Amino acid sequence: MSVSPWMRTMKARALVRLWSVFGEPLWVVVNMGFPVLSSLALSLLYYSIGATNYIGFAVLGGVMVSFWGNVLWSMASQFNWDKQEGLFEIYLTSPASITAILIGMSVGGIVATVPSAGIVTAVGWALFHPAVDASWGGVALTFALTLASLYAMGMVLSSLYLTYGREAESFNEVLQEPVSMLSGLYFPALGSQSPFPFAIQAAASLIPLTIGMDALRKTLFYGNNIGQVWEDLLVLAVMAGVLLFISTFFLRLLETRGRKQGTISVRIR
Amino acid sequence: MTSVRPLLASAWMGIQHDIAWTNPVLSVALRAVAPFAAAMTVSIIYWFGSSNSAAGVFNPQYLAFVLIGSTLYAHVASYAWVPTQAIAEGKNLSVFPHIYITSRSTAFYVAGRALSAFVISTITSVAALVVAYYVLQSFFGVQIPVLVTGSSALLFGVALIANIPGALGLGYLLGAYSLYASKFEWSLPGYVSGLLMVFSGALFPTTTLPWPLSVGAYYLPFTQFIAAAREALLPGTSGSYAYPLALCVLGGLLLFAGSLLVYFAAEKKARKDGVIDRRLA
Repeated sequence: MSVSPWMRTMKARALVRLWSVFGEPLWVVVNMGFPVLSSLALSLLYYSIGATNYIGFAVLGGVMVSFWGNVLWSMASQFNWDKQEGLFEIYLTSPASITAILIGMSVGGIVATVPSAGIVTAVGWALFHPAVDASWGGVALTFALTLASLYAMGMVLSSLYLTYGREAESFNEVLQEPVSMLSGLYFPALGSQSPFPFAIQAAASLIPLTIGMDALRKTLFYGNNIGQVWEDLLVLAVMAGVLLFISTFFLRLLETRGRKQGTISVRIR
Repeated sequence: MTSVRPLLASAWMGIQHDIAWTNPVLSVALRAVAPFAAAMTVSIIYWFGSSNSAAGVFNPQYLAFVLIGSTLYAHVASYAWVPTQAIAEGKNLSVFPHIYITSRSTAFYVAGRALSAFVISTITSVAALVVAYYVLQSFFGVQIPVLVTGSSALLFGVALIANIPGALGLGYLLGAYSLYASKFEWSLPGYVSGLLMVFSGALFPTTTLPWPLSVGAYYLPFTQFIAAAREALLPGTSGSYAYPLALCVLGGLLLFAGSLLVYFAAEKKARKDGVIDRRLA
């Protein structure tokens, strides 16, 4: 049975990412630094003020910041870097689907980030034994949908960054911390426990990570099952679909415009 | 003067590299966003943890402690890794070979880049601190007890300058690594920032750490820098201003001298081994 070119493209791009990480174990060390240390520091902050029942929030935040970092630096920026290396021109001239390349990149990125996220979990668990009251089915589904929508957002950013030159990295640096704050990676950003006014909470809800973190905390620490977080799950699923559509639309639009203007493969602007 | 010229030229190049890629005001404003958001995040964690825990009580004094500490570790982290970045990026873009074929050591170039980053980071960190101060007061409806007078600002500025040798020392140490390898350096900002979050007393007292880590963390020049700078803006938190400042300068100079020796040795060996312009390790 022959596999479709789309699937082969997706698999090939995912394998490149996997080889690049697992073929050189140093990359696991490279990726885990900030998530492990920031999670440890924020767990110690909760610990030092006697809020030990919330240490799990800091550990979960460390796990998810691994994926958020991967989305920013290995998804959003990737096409821009590929363009600088001359690889993007090869993608364009080949019959491979760009969407398949992006999805392959996402799948490979998720699998490649698992060791880093696992180390954050193991360190947090070993040092602090955070209290967990989990509905594991809900946790698994929420986690999967959060990653799907988060990486779909990465695909949108990746397509948008094609129009930028050196600014892309600066935009990434600008996005990383504010999104971590607004999405409530380490504390509740939505609801009555949020420090944010309603307008900021509403704006933050447009970020998939915000909805995902809220639902993950409910299922992992407050025992909510799928039925109790179905609205969050529905929003995440819709976000994933819409963002995937938007990224495909932008890619086509920018590719067409880039071909017409002759800027599609301009490396440094 | 022959040493000052390459230093100033490198610092000017650093300014051009870091903020001249767009409108300089916009560039500086964008650079202030990350430290502002980081300061907000840890301050909110403190507010959330202390307000919702049975054991904790929300204390505006401690909020100020966390706010100032978080801004300062971000400040150190943002310029201590610049030597590494300057070398790694210089090798990738073939700028670094042009530096090392000059008659001066690349140490001048590295120091100049770090000094320009210090200036930019000081502006962005102070801006982030001021904005976060007002936003947090509005969010939580409390008065954050930060002392801002002419003398406290002067003492704060002296503490920032006193930390330069230590941060530059750390930069040389990491830069020596970059002369040889070209992979790990991209994660160094995360490591430097993360280690400072844990060990510099920025977010919680170093006594929170288990022995002997608490003792080692206490004597880091960066811990003493944050203690002195915090004492300037929040009197009474460190007990003294002069003592931590003296420890910061002493520890910083020791680290600087040791790291410079390591850097010179690494540079000499890298030239000899022919790896100083190697892009991939």
